[in-house]
Amino acid sequence: MRRLLAGLAAGTVLAAVPACGSSSGSSEPEDKGSGGVTTVKVGIIPIVDVAPLYLGEKKGFFKERGLKLSLSPAQGGAAIVPGVVSGQFQFGFSNVTSLMVAQSNGVPVKAVVNGASSSGVEGEDFGGLMVKKGSPIKTPKELEGRRVAVNTLKNINELAVRNSVRQDGGDPDEVELVELAFDQMPAALEDGQVDAAMVVEPALATIKAQGGTEIASPLVDIADKLTVAMYFTSEKYAQQNPELVKRFQEATAESLAHADAHPDEVREIVTTYTKIPEATLEQVTLPKWPAQANRSSIMDLLKLGHEDGLFKRSPDLDALLP
Amino acid sequence: MKDAHLDGAPPERARGGRPELTNAALGAAGLAGFLALCEAVPRLGIVSAEYFPPVSRIADALVGELGDGAFWTALGDTLTGWALGLAIAVTAGVLAGVVISVVPYLREATASTIEFLRPIPSVALIPLAVLLYGTELRSVLLLVVYASFWQVLLQTLYGVRDVDPVAEETARSYGLGTWARVRHVLWPTALPYVMTGVRLAAAVALILAVTAELVIGAPGLGARIAVAQTSQAVPEMYALVVVTGVLGLLINVGARTVERRALAWHQSVRGEVAV
Repeated sequence: MRRLLAGLAAGTVLAAVPACGSSSGSSEPEDKGSGGVTTVKVGIIPIVDVAPLYLGEKKGFFKERGLKLSLSPAQGGAAIVPGVVSGQFQFGFSNVTSLMVAQSNGVPVKAVVNGASSSGVEGEDFGGLMVKKGSPIKTPKELEGRRVAVNTLKNINELAVRNSVRQDGGDPDEVELVELAFDQMPAALEDGQVDAAMVVEPALATIKAQGGTEIASPLVDIADKLTVAMYFTSEKYAQQNPELVKRFQEATAESLAHADAHPDEVREIVTTYTKIPEATLEQVTLPKWPAQANRSSIMDLLKLGHEDGLFKRSPDLDALLP
Repeated sequence: MKDAHLDGAPPERARGGRPELTNAALGAAGLAGFLALCEAVPRLGIVSAEYFPPVSRIADALVGELGDGAFWTALGDTLTGWALGLAIAVTAGVLAGVVISVVPYLREATASTIEFLRPIPSVALIPLAVLLYGTELRSVLLLVVYASFWQVLLQTLYGVRDVDPVAEETARSYGLGTWARVRHVLWPTALPYVMTGVRLAAAVALILAVTAELVIGAPGLGARIAVAQTSQAVPEMYALVVVTGVLGLLINVGARTVERRALAWHQSVRGEVAV
């Protein structure tokens, strides 16, 4: 017994040492690797939208500019924004509304390059307001008094749904919005727990496969070719490494353009970091990836945010956007 | 799915000639029944097979997972987080427990602080973990250690309190020093409690390791479950959930084995073995 316990104790001490030892250094922003290549850590959400980064890394667009991407999948912006601000990640992926809310709350974020945009085509976007097969609801206005699922309350999808209802002549305050993760929406819709769901790919393709109907494309309703998400860094990192940020911008812009022009390559690379079943992936509507963010669409989004009381203080778009 | 060994109940001795065999057969029958139920429920249309696939489809997906190198990497990541976290928690918990008990007045001084910190759910510390360590292993460790530390610490404190005062006084009167008394009187008394704490901590550590990966996205089985979820890959998701369940089972069995070996001299274990 004594030996066993001594062994356990020794093992724990040994095991604890590397755990403490590894805590130094990794948060330093400028890790110059071998051959003058800088590794940058990017906090991403493992969804279709970030495919251009995976593709650009594979195609060597980042390597050409002396960058090596280390893509860290995280579960949503709640983990990415603090990670970027504290320097764990050099860059992060976030929807634009979250960035505006963060900035208006005094969180020092700085958007650097476009992330993903809506297609701008009604009924052919990567996000849609869906009702189940055979539902009597045909228009957003009819959602008054009904229950609608959005992934996060007080964020871009809530703004979008309320805007679509308003544009259709309805009163958005009469719509009961409930929070539900995208992946749970198909089941909730099918089961009748919600009457409609504001859903994005690949759950959108799942609902369509079940015979669900799209009654609006809320992201399209906000603005033509709405910039939905962007890559961002912290203000401090942008000030200290302007040259590196510029290289990241250029490489990402090239990756976005490449992804936009080669949807087949996108569908292929998506299988390397998600588990979207093949049959679903074929049906998935890809976002648009213009190299430049659409500033006027972001101003429309800002206006909606003000209307729905999202901001305590007005976000400063000149400071936020590249 | 119940097995007397895992339930904490002593093995039943009186019934039948070969209780272990009966138990194993009953356990297997229970498991088979459970699997048959899970196969039947979606097949009969009680729940939609889209969202709760029958066992056979989950098994298919599981085979696919087992053939994927990335799965084994994820499993390794989860086990690393679990083992490191548990090791740190056990070491810290035992040391803190003994020190708090031995140093005069320290127990009284720390009691309220411990009772304040202990009920804080580890998951509530996720924003702190992300802020400090991003989505790395260290975030997982923070949560795992925080959750399992208290299990060990409290059991150690209870264990030390259980020391027989007569034995303690005897050791004193024989002139044993502090270290010798800790070693020969306090430690043997506290050990059964400590081992209980370790066993509880082992289970809690696994739950927290998977939860942290699931919520934060740190590499591991939890992150893989999250990716399967967002990818609408339902059978794969359940296959991974099954893996975490099996992992929990193995860890419990392993912890009991360690406990039994470490306490082989103790009457609670000796009594069990002497069938």
